Amino acid sequence: MPFYEILFLALMVTFITSLFLGYPVAWLLAGVSLVFTAIAITLTTQFGVDTFLLTSWVKFSGIIDRFDAIMSNWVLVSLPMFVYMGLMLDRSGVADTMMRNFVKVFGGLRGGLGLTVIVIGILLAASTGIVGASVVLLAMLSMPIMLQHHYSKALASGIVAASGTLGILIPPSIMLVLMADQVSVSVGDLFMGALVPGLLLGVLYMAFVVIVGFVRPDILPPRPAGDEKLTARQIGIAFLSTLPTFGLILVVLGSIFFGIATPTEASGLGAFGAMLLAAANRKLNWQVIREVGIATTTTTCFIFAIFIGATVFAYVLRMIGGDELITEFFKGTGLGPTGMVMLVLAVVFVAGFFLDWFEIVLIVLPLLAPVIKHSGIEMTWFLILVALMLQTSFLTPPVGFSLFYLKGVVPKGVTIRDIYLGVIPFVLMQMAMVGLCLLFPQIILWLPGRMYGAG
Amino acid sequence: QETVRWGIPMSFGSNLTALGDTMPWVSEQLKKVSGGTVNLQVFEPGKLVPALAIFDSVSTGKVEAGYSWMGYEIGKVPVSALFGAVPFGMESPQFAAWMYFGGGDALLKEAYKPYNVYPIFCGSISPEAAGWFRKEINTPEDIKGLKFRAAGLGGKIYQKLGASVTMLPGGELFQALEKGVLDGTEFSLPTVDEQLGFFKVAKNYYMPGWHQPSTNQFLYVNTAAWAKLKPQTQAQIETTCTAGVTMAIAKAEALQGAVLAKFEKEGVKARQFNKTMLDAFSKASKEVLAEEAGKDPMFKKVLDSMNGFQKQNAQWHNLGYLPRDYPH
Amino acid sequence: MNSKNMPADGPVAGPSGIVLPITAFSRAVDRLIGWFGEFASLLWTVLVMVIVFQVVLRYVFGLGSIMLEEVQWHLYAVGFLLGLAFTEVHERNVRIDVLAEGWSQRTRLWIELLGIVFFLLSFSLLVVWFSVPFVATSWEMGEVSAAPGGLPWRWALKSFLVTAFLLLALAGLGRLTRVWAALRAR
Ligand code: NA
Ligand code: NA
Repeated sequence: MPFYEILFLALMVTFITSLFLGYPVAWLLAGVSLVFTAIAITLTTQFGVDTFLLTSWVKFSGIIDRFDAIMSNWVLVSLPMFVYMGLMLDRSGVADTMMRNFVKVFGGLRGGLGLTVIVIGILLAASTGIVGASVVLLAMLSMPIMLQHHYSKALASGIVAASGTLGILIPPSIMLVLMADQVSVSVGDLFMGALVPGLLLGVLYMAFVVIVGFVRPDILPPRPAGDEKLTARQIGIAFLSTLPTFGLILVVLGSIFFGIATPTEASGLGAFGAMLLAAANRKLNWQVIREVGIATTTTTCFIFAIFIGATVFAYVLRMIGGDELITEFFKGTGLGPTGMVMLVLAVVFVAGFFLDWFEIVLIVLPLLAPVIKHSGIEMTWFLILVALMLQTSFLTPPVGFSLFYLKGVVPKGVTIRDIYLGVIPFVLMQMAMVGLCLLFPQIILWLPGRMYGAG
Repeated sequence: QETVRWGIPMSFGSNLTALGDTMPWVSEQLKKVSGGTVNLQVFEPGKLVPALAIFDSVSTGKVEAGYSWMGYEIGKVPVSALFGAVPFGMESPQFAAWMYFGGGDALLKEAYKPYNVYPIFCGSISPEAAGWFRKEINTPEDIKGLKFRAAGLGGKIYQKLGASVTMLPGGELFQALEKGVLDGTEFSLPTVDEQLGFFKVAKNYYMPGWHQPSTNQFLYVNTAAWAKLKPQTQAQIETTCTAGVTMAIAKAEALQGAVLAKFEKEGVKARQFNKTMLDAFSKASKEVLAEEAGKDPMFKKVLDSMNGFQKQNAQWHNLGYLPRDYPH
Repeated sequence: MNSKNMPADGPVAGPSGIVLPITAFSRAVDRLIGWFGEFASLLWTVLVMVIVFQVVLRYVFGLGSIMLEEVQWHLYAVGFLLGLAFTEVHERNVRIDVLAEGWSQRTRLWIELLGIVFFLLSFSLLVVWFSVPFVATSWEMGEVSAAPGGLPWRWALKSFLVTAFLLLALAGLGRLTRVWAALRAR
């Protein structure tokens, strides 16, 4: 075992352990990498130890070019725009009104509020492509109401984190865009392939909430019944209150499907649409614009800080031979195509405990996609399975980015422990979905086949 | 034999035939001819440094070497565009002739010396397709107002003809084309275009690749790192790269026929631009090239050398070969 | 907020759960970073308008503009870069405090001190150190956009890397004085 492989393992272990110090993840990622760079350079210059490619500080400065690539990544423009849209939608009072009206109608049913949150989560998923944005928005809309209705903190967190994370699977999805880019397949196929599993997951979540409503009313209580009667008028109002949100989804998805804008531009149109809604409700003024701007900055930037830290970490991992180690490992297994797919999924799942999807798409996919491609396996099927796993990785503790995004905006009193606990059943449902797609590839392949005739 | 280990970032994925798998082949060969001591380990785009930052990283010594299409640094080194691809310029064999025997290589080394880069010609591929269009293009009128994605000098030429040119990122192209955000896009060779799936959403596939009769890749080496190598290692690297040029030309040429046949089955009409169109493109190309030459003396010097070589060889080029459409 | 068990002007735990006093230096730094943050926050609204303008121009009038496309990601880049320090002083960066929540304030202060010095400060200063030549090279070469009709002065955009990480280093220094003051006070 060459020395740099020991360094690689030490870096992984150090990072994972130091995570629990409670210092910001972004600076830990960057800082731990920096410390290991210093160690590697000292070892190689002073003692002639083999540290693979990481041999001088000039080499380390490659991180600047990686930052520059984040700065000029046009696709990522949609991140602040979707966040802005969410925050503006929140300030417009539209989503709040919708939420409250829905609660009046469905709140009396067992699990009605939870179902409402999931449905709104799916609606948001269809309008945003970024997990950070949809989790944050959904949390701001629904956590206070759920807690007010005595949902357990854990269950409420689980519902929000899981439904919000659907946004990365249900198109438009920035993750699918980047996956297609990495492996050179068509985004259209991936979008279509992800739709059915994404919606099925939503259905699965809803079934779960209904069941919990019956089995454990202590953590998922119905609204105290009997104080008001449900009238046709209320139902009508509830229906009307969804129209502005549907209008917004129409702006975002419609502009994409009717060829008016790209998914990136659609995010900006959505933000503008939210401003119009706020204006229609007489809620738009300079103060609101300023506050939404500030909240957009802090929400966007904690995600970008992690991007920056993760890109440094990945760079150092590679410079000390991490890629070689991974490739050798896969070559050494001697598995067949199906075995390889299973192994890749397992690796993505485990990697998802510690790494950001962004990094997994960059590390694992280009490395393994050619192997899978040559073995004649349907790429769309394989990639959507990976996407499902990546989506799961957002929800798996300790490093689940949806969980962090959620932690950033939950009401005081909800701890990361609540969130970890609440998400467990949803992770299990995710795994069940992966299993179903492995057994019945048609869940993924049916829609792309219908749309474009071939895979 | 000395031991060398360099990380080589690439600007194309190794899954892109001829464009991206030449350097991995060169690297394998180098390992073999050196008995395993010269290891130029390739990295997929973005894994080490970003795909578009290879020139920059080599120039500043962040990596010893990198593999890229020459032209991504057009914003910093305008002349790079000429070495990468010239509209209505030379085809691969002729470009190689100019590089090796027409003074091209010396001009290249001269142009990159100020940036501490020693570029080695290391791959050239067949013409790119002119692009995928949602409608037929018969007259220059059809280009006016066309929403088209094109990079580099080709983009400037389309702009001249009145197209509304954008630079959408690769990942958004498919959907933009499908939904009509774009009316057309150029990308690469038919085999590479196939991998991106454009044939599913745009049915007019135009050729010839007037904007890129050949597309040339180079191994960029940091001057200081190069100087440190023993002559034996230098020769090994340059020789395998020369072999890489041959392999790239052969591979790019070998695979396109089958792909075009597949496109036909998918309902794609493979066509060639008519004379009127080509004349319009040619006229606009000359203007754009002249404008660029006016801005940068090195650009002018290299363009003159290329034009001179093409002119001197024109009679041979026209008479020496069977006409392209002569039946086999 | 926590007025029950704290004097009104006393230190209050921020989102990080760590109680820190404010120092004169940190107050000044935070104010400076606040100005940059407010500026960055206005850019998002501008970005929305640019995107709408660009889509209308292309879809309604059939005019594509690479310049407008580039303006978009220039605004985005400046926005998120200037916001990094702003987010740090607002303690909005994500921490995994499952275990740390249960530790003593003193332990957490020491972790904070070491984290700032070895991770945040060394990292951001090193980035500043590397970005200066990065920007200078771009300036010397007169780098412009590689796209036809793109924006000139790429060095100007790149220089925000320097500004952003200088601000981040300042944010770290400001917080360091607060952590130090808290440790001294015990
Ligand atoms: Na989505
Ligand atoms: Na995870």
